Formats: sequence, structure tokens, C-alpha cells
Amino acid sequence: MEPEQGVTAEPIDANPLRWLYSIFARFVARFWGVIIILGAWQAWVLISGYNAIVLPPPLSVLHQVATNLGLFAFAGLQTLAVAIIGTVIGMLLGSVAAILAWYSRLFSGLLTPLALIFTAVPAVALVPVIARLLGYDIRTVIAIVAVISFFPSFVFTGSGLRALPPGSADLFRVNGASTWMQLRYLALPAAVPHWMVALRLGAASAVLSAIIAEFAMGTSGLGSVFSEARDSFDMTRALGASLVATIISVIGFLLAISAERIVRDRWD
Amino acid sequence: MSVASIQPTAPEPIIGTAGIPAINLDRVGKNFRLDARREVKAVSDVSMNVGKGAFVAILGPSGCGKSTILRMIASLDEPTKGTLSVLGTTPADCAANHRMGIAFQDHALLPWLTIFDNVALPYRLAHLKADPGRVAQLIDLVGLAGFEKARPKQLSGGMRQRAAIARALLLNPDVLLLDEPFGALDAVTRRQMNVELQRIWSEQRTTTLLVTHSVDEAVFLADRVIVMSGRPGHIIREVAIPFERPRHPDVMRTVEFHHLVNELTEALHPTEGTGAP
Repeated sequence: MEPEQGVTAEPIDANPLRWLYSIFARFVARFWGVIIILGAWQAWVLISGYNAIVLPPPLSVLHQVATNLGLFAFAGLQTLAVAIIGTVIGMLLGSVAAILAWYSRLFSGLLTPLALIFTAVPAVALVPVIARLLGYDIRTVIAIVAVISFFPSFVFTGSGLRALPPGSADLFRVNGASTWMQLRYLALPAAVPHWMVALRLGAASAVLSAIIAEFAMGTSGLGSVFSEARDSFDMTRALGASLVATIISVIGFLLAISAERIVRDRWD
Repeated sequence: MSVASIQPTAPEPIIGTAGIPAINLDRVGKNFRLDARREVKAVSDVSMNVGKGAFVAILGPSGCGKSTILRMIASLDEPTKGTLSVLGTTPADCAANHRMGIAFQDHALLPWLTIFDNVALPYRLAHLKADPGRVAQLIDLVGLAGFEKARPKQLSGGMRQRAAIARALLLNPDVLLLDEPFGALDAVTRRQMNVELQRIWSEQRTTTLLVTHSVDEAVFLADRVIVMSGRPGHIIREVAIPFERPRHPDVMRTVEFHHLVNELTEALHPTEGTGAP
């Protein structure tokens, strides 16, 4: 099987390759269990002699990505950007909703069931509805990511706003703090570590939900690369898109974990 | 040390003439609802006065309602019966005007702020411009100079309580409320903190109500000790403490001190060691 020669060897090719390799090396160190599975997969394909449409070996998937870096980098960045924008919007909306629920029991009674219903509906079922509302383009993908990251943000910010240091709520009342002061100087700072947990959960699922939406829409990003490749039976390319998505997801998750650790260190 | 007087903006003088005590309770009762049918009487028929500039301790076993009394004075709970006034007005008014300082057994320091910012917090809550000099002075007064930039988790339990007391004193409160502030400390640190608090108080002379279950602490610190008994909480004894101020820790070794401690311990546990019914 020959990889396509679409976007190839530019002079700067060595550096991104090395960069990719170093990320891959770190990946190996952390996820050696995954590597064993990949090794078994490679061995299985070699022994069974399945062709690439049935099951491409992992090495040719890697080769596919390495020789089509431009395509995968463009699609990957598109997906990443959509995932980040969607997560930011979803977390902002979730936090604002949590603050409203903290402020008034009326909002709490209104928003909590709504948030539950939204999260219970599968993302794939939401795509056509949101696409009808926003249009068949990138806005719908962003909206899907936002909807999915909304719920953890709403739940964790909500519990964080109430996880106050012992005695601090009484202290604020005796010191004549207004509701705004309690929010600004007590509840919001107390919610920050919880908010970081929501960010970690959001970061892990944001790329996935972006790809699901892109796959359903077929307009942009890794999801549409996957969908087009699958339609032309190019499973190597389809799995290449999955590989890039996995790498982006894992990096995002690791970044969120270290950010959370830094914040916890300061807060606890 | 003279501490600059920074009074929070008060629209009218709340402290009236000498006739009005700083804290006044008139036949105050407090019931807590357990569920739809059952109620528990936490405090019943408590009347007491705390004069301006006095240091009064409420002494009693746990569950005797002494903290409930302090919480009502602090505006954190509403009395079910009777009337309660602080500085001639309601506790809620006093809190809204930032006239009360409080310290609990929980230091209630905010873990994300430095010690300096924690002590300076009441300025923010009272919409007052922070006076860094005043904050530094109070940190020095409670013996925490050099720890301004530390975070609460980096300090020992005793140091955290010192910071909490500095914070309570920041706005020169008209009433200082202390609810077992040293309850979570070991005996040695607690005694040391009592000596420190006595020194600080002798400099400030802020009207203070201390709630404690330690007889030594009450006798060493207070001008007057009110002894309470539980179920429902009521006052069983009031004792004036005659020692001069400032009090030297040696006071705790005098015969008179021990006599008072024995008398109050006896009041707390009337049948203990006597064999009487």
C-alpha cells in the first residue's frame, strides 16, 4: 500500500517530525499499555494478512500521518480551535448558570432540570436540531462542544460555590458582606479548584464531541477527514485522523491536569 | 503600642450614653426545630449585660447553649423569645455597619489569600480603602511579623488563630466576639495564646465576649465570668474577677486564682468530688 503524495517534504519537515516524535516518546512512557495493544495489533495484521480496508496496521497509520502532515495538521488545528472555542463558551455559560442558581432558588429550580435534560440527550441527536437552528457549518460544531462542556461546568461550579472554607460564610455575614461581596471574595474563589475539574473533564471530551459533530456535518476538521476517508474505503487515513484526534485529546487532558495541579497547590 | 483609630463610617453614633450597655440580653430564648413536630430548647430565659470596654467570658460545658448566645449576638441566629441588642441596636444593624469583629474555633482564613490579605479582608468587605500600615501593625501586634506573604496552610494552628484575631481587630470593632478561638489548640499553645490575647486586649480594651469551656482561660482573661448549664442553656452563676490589668501570667499561680478556678469548676460540676446527692 502506497501513501498518497499529496502534501509532502518541505524543508522544515524534520522539526515537526522530531516534535511529533518527542510527544510520541512521552506518550510511550505514560501509556505503555496502549503501546502493547498497538504492538499486538501490528502483529495480528502481519500474521493474518488482512488487507488495509479491513484493518490497516498501526505502522502504516503512522506513516500516513507522517507523510500527510499538512492535511492532518490543518484538520487537527481546525478541530482543536473548534474544541477550544466550544469549551470556553460552554464553560462560561455553565458557570454563569451555576452563579444564577447560587444566587436564587428560582433559577436553580429552572436551570437544574434543563441542564439535566440537555446532558441526557445524545450529542448525535442534537446535531440535526442545532444545525437547523444555526446552519450547516462550523457554528453548529462549536455549539455541540459547548452543550457537552456546559454540564460539568454547571455542576462543578455549582458545588464549588458552596464548598466554602469552614466558618468563612459566618465570618462574611458578621462582617456585613453584601451578596456581591460573598460571591466576589468567597464563593467564586472557592469554586476555582472545582472549576478546574470541570475544565479537565471538558478538555477530555471536547475534541471527541467536536469530531462527532464534524463527522455528522462533514464540513470541516478531523471528523470530516475521517468521514471522507471512510467513504472512499481509505481506512488508513480514517485511522490517521483518529490518531491525531487522540494525540490532541491526550495533550489537552494532560495540560488540564497540570493546570489543575497548579491551582490546587495554591488553593488547598 | 498605640493603634491608629480607624472607625468605619457610621452615619450616626450608635454607642449611646454610658447607660446603654454594649450588649444586652433580656430573657432571651432560642429553640431549634428538629423536624415538623419536635423542637429543642437550646437557650432559655437568659438575661445579661456586657458593659462598654468590659471583657466577659461565658463558661460552660459543650452543648450548654453558650455558642448559640454568641451566634445570636453576632446576627448569625435569631432569638425565638426575648430581646437582644448590641450597641443599642439590632445585631443585624451592627453587622451591616461593620461594628463587630469575630473569631471562631475555625480560623476561617481563606486559603487562597496571603496572611496579609486575610487580615486586610474586612476592609474589602466594608468598602473601605485598605490601610497597609494598619494591617502591618496588627500583624505585628499578634506576633506574625515576617509571615505577611505566607499562606494559611504554611502556618501552625496557633499562628492561624493569631491571624484570625488580627483580622477581627482590624476595623477597631466596638464589639469583639470570640467563640472558643483556641479550642483546637494544644494545652501549651493555648496557654501561650491566652497570655498573648490578654496583652493585646489590655492595649485595645475592646468590649469582648468570650465563649469557652476552659475555666483557666475564662478566669485569666475576663473581668466577669458567666457560668452556664445546659438543656436548656441558662445562667447559673456570675463571678467578678478582681485581678488588675495588665495581667501577668504569674497571676495563674496565685492562691486567689486557684480559689476562683475551684469555685467555678465546682459551679460547673456541683456534685463532683463531694459525694452529695
